[in-house]
Amino acid sequence: MHRIGLAALAAMALTAAVFVAGGSAGTSQTPKQGGTVIFGAEQEPPCLNGALDGCNNTWTTWSVGTSLRGLYIENPDFSLVPDMSDGETKVSRTNGKFTLTVKIKKQAVWSDGVPVTVKDFVYTMQSYLDPKNEVAGRSGWDSIQSVKPLSKDGKSFKIIFSKPYAPWKVLFTSSLYPQHALQGTDFNTVWNDNYNNPKNGQPLGTGPFLMTSYTKGQSITMTRNPKWWGPHKAYLDKVVFVFRTNTDTEIQAIRGGEVDVIYPQPQLQLVDLRGQPGLKIESNAGTTLEHFDYNQQLKGGMPLFRAPWFRQAMSYAVNRQAVVDQIYKKFNPKQQVLQNLTYGNSQKGLYQPHFGTYTYSPAKVTQLMQKHGCTKGGDGIWVCQGIKASVKIGTTAGNKLRELIVEITQAQAKNAGIELVPASAPSRIFFPQVSDGNYQIAMFAWVGSGDPAGQIDIYGCGGPANWKGYCSKKVTDLLKASDAELDPQKRIAQVNAADKLMALNVPTLPIVQKPTFLVYKTKIHGIRDNSSVQGPTDNMQDWWVS
Amino acid sequence: MLAYILRRILYSIPVLIAASFLIFTMVSAFGDPMSELRLNPLVSKQTLEKQAEEKHLNDPIPVRYGYWVKDAVTNKFGTPLFVNEPIWNDLKRVIPHTIALVVCAELLALLFGVAIGIYSAIRQYSPFDYAATTFSFLGFAMPVFWLALMLQIGFTNLFISTHVRIFYTSGLSSVDPGTGPHWLLDRAQHLAIPVMVLAVLNIAVYSRYMRASLLEVVNTDYVRTARAKGLTEQRVTIRHAVRNALTPVVTLSALSFGALIGGAIITESIFQLDGMGNYFIQNLLSQDVYPVMAWLMITAIMIILFNLIADILYGILDPRVRYE
Repeated sequence: MHRIGLAALAAMALTAAVFVAGGSAGTSQTPKQGGTVIFGAEQEPPCLNGALDGCNNTWTTWSVGTSLRGLYIENPDFSLVPDMSDGETKVSRTNGKFTLTVKIKKQAVWSDGVPVTVKDFVYTMQSYLDPKNEVAGRSGWDSIQSVKPLSKDGKSFKIIFSKPYAPWKVLFTSSLYPQHALQGTDFNTVWNDNYNNPKNGQPLGTGPFLMTSYTKGQSITMTRNPKWWGPHKAYLDKVVFVFRTNTDTEIQAIRGGEVDVIYPQPQLQLVDLRGQPGLKIESNAGTTLEHFDYNQQLKGGMPLFRAPWFRQAMSYAVNRQAVVDQIYKKFNPKQQVLQNLTYGNSQKGLYQPHFGTYTYSPAKVTQLMQKHGCTKGGDGIWVCQGIKASVKIGTTAGNKLRELIVEITQAQAKNAGIELVPASAPSRIFFPQVSDGNYQIAMFAWVGSGDPAGQIDIYGCGGPANWKGYCSKKVTDLLKASDAELDPQKRIAQVNAADKLMALNVPTLPIVQKPTFLVYKTKIHGIRDNSSVQGPTDNMQDWWVS
Repeated sequence: MLAYILRRILYSIPVLIAASFLIFTMVSAFGDPMSELRLNPLVSKQTLEKQAEEKHLNDPIPVRYGYWVKDAVTNKFGTPLFVNEPIWNDLKRVIPHTIALVVCAELLALLFGVAIGIYSAIRQYSPFDYAATTFSFLGFAMPVFWLALMLQIGFTNLFISTHVRIFYTSGLSSVDPGTGPHWLLDRAQHLAIPVMVLAVLNIAVYSRYMRASLLEVVNTDYVRTARAKGLTEQRVTIRHAVRNALTPVVTLSALSFGALIGGAIITESIFQLDGMGNYFIQNLLSQDVYPVMAWLMITAIMIILFNLIADILYGILDPRVRYE
């Protein structure tokens, strides 16, 4: 009896354990298969082939671009890590030539089962270099001298560069295009409104989702790729990007459940979404760097800006901390003032706050002005060498955040004896003025990638984007060297050395890394903000709906 | 009548040419369509120069206008600046959406406007008449964008509190709208609020016109004769008075329809409807002159056409009007 009793007890315990185990398999932390997420996209891609200049748009990357993977991918902390590449690429200098030895993951295949190989890399490279193709840029690709396969299956190959190319990882984040499907087609038109294999009309890609439908003006549908090579197949059946270009419409759409996720540019009315039940918000410092450009050129510029001391005085007359506290912290409570022109606050180990000296100080402004023989006029504004310290400050009219910043800094600067005169214009007029050097202070943003490549264009002497006319040989040499420096630590040191020099003579005053603003329903799991250029859709395979 | 129509069409041609040149000049002269591209660090100077060369952006405006005319006539309006897709395909896509919106809005406006106008006239100085007058003035004064946003917020709040979806606040259709009656219902739910927004102003206009016109007609001799003959008041009103009072409303509606084909820009932008108005504003903001010109030509032709229809209708409805 006793034995039977014990056996029965054991059986009951075992049964109970089975029930408990079975019950816990259905908890909210276990990803569920199936479902659709509707993503409200703030812009419709002008066209879908992200390599073309007309289509090179963040929303192209964040939507359809997710179906074409690259060798590397950018993480939320801006680090570049292998994606289709099997481990870190080997960097070497062979016979004085900068060489990369690449290995593609064995399991990396196109959705039709064709393996991703060196042929796809070569085809992509050729597409970028073909002068007939209207691609956004050839930088990096035009430094490749040759590509040599190292294995029969085409998974291993060597890339030999004509000169050292430091931002090669950034180049490797470019989507690879399918040679077996697109060879012989017109790259300018073949994938403008679909990502289908032109030979059989089937959707093609290497991402966790494939672009299966595009209703122009309305939506893009991404459907699970059954042949995705990643650690697991996507949980969701579909992600649908619907175009909602008006911020107020986006807000009502997410409140009313017509969309499940939005990722808008930060605007003040979005702050009201905090506290809305059923929604979660993530905000981080992004790759868009807001700044004040001081034009040193004679044409349209302010003559006093040619003097570093005046640029320093201008920088002391602006309370950037107040701007961040009053405006940007509403989005991201952890937002900080940006104190570097080349790296963001969030790039730990790289970022050095060289511009941290420029805290708001009317006293320092006075000291600098008096030291250089300036006197205050009856209106409280400094006059230096007969020139009144009255500066036009322009930005994109209609952008409420920027216009608010101009208003705030106007009052601050006046208190320090510098007059700021608003001179904003619609972007179609403002940007040509800027690129023409026809401005005094321009407030706008550079969109970075987290890698300092290309800074020489903006800050180097005669750089194509150096519209402010700044020229320092030392800075130019440092930035030039950094674009060819393969040792990451040396490169960081060179870039920061250039930034330190720029902090002394202030061609530009950094303001803030514009925050991102990801809003999603709490029923969506696995989603997280990626404030790098990759965007929050880089891990769609991990999203699931409870 | 035929001569009159032909004359009107011929007069329209120089008007179209002048309007097209003016708009082309204004859009091309103010701003640089490649400005955003210039700020993209990936785009090289060579690419920019090549694009400018290919799209004739460095040529004088009259020369560029000439290229546009050639493209418009021989290549169905050509292609946008940076996308190799025919503009005509975009127009074929957006025009039906706008037509659907405008037709529904006009029908609703006519239905309610005429009914309110008739009852106001019949019951002149009654509480209904005063209420209708007040509503009309409110309708005139209400900014379209404000009404659109208020309705969006209102129906969103209604959904949040009741979890019952009456109408959608954006888009043309749901992700999986189904087919047949399901598709139709889904489309109706999406267009309901934009139709309401567009209809409000026209209801106000038509009701006032209908009221004024009917009040004028009920005091005419032939209506008095009809009453004297012993006809019922209802028959006198509907068969004799209203029929003649409708003339200005119908012609006004034709004019309004023609203008709205250009797209209710604000309504379509706010509700994210893929129509002519949204198409126009997106391309104007990116300073892509070819799509803007294509929009202009379609809109101008529609306005001219519907003006002509309005005049012809007036002649048909009122036999006293003769066109020579």
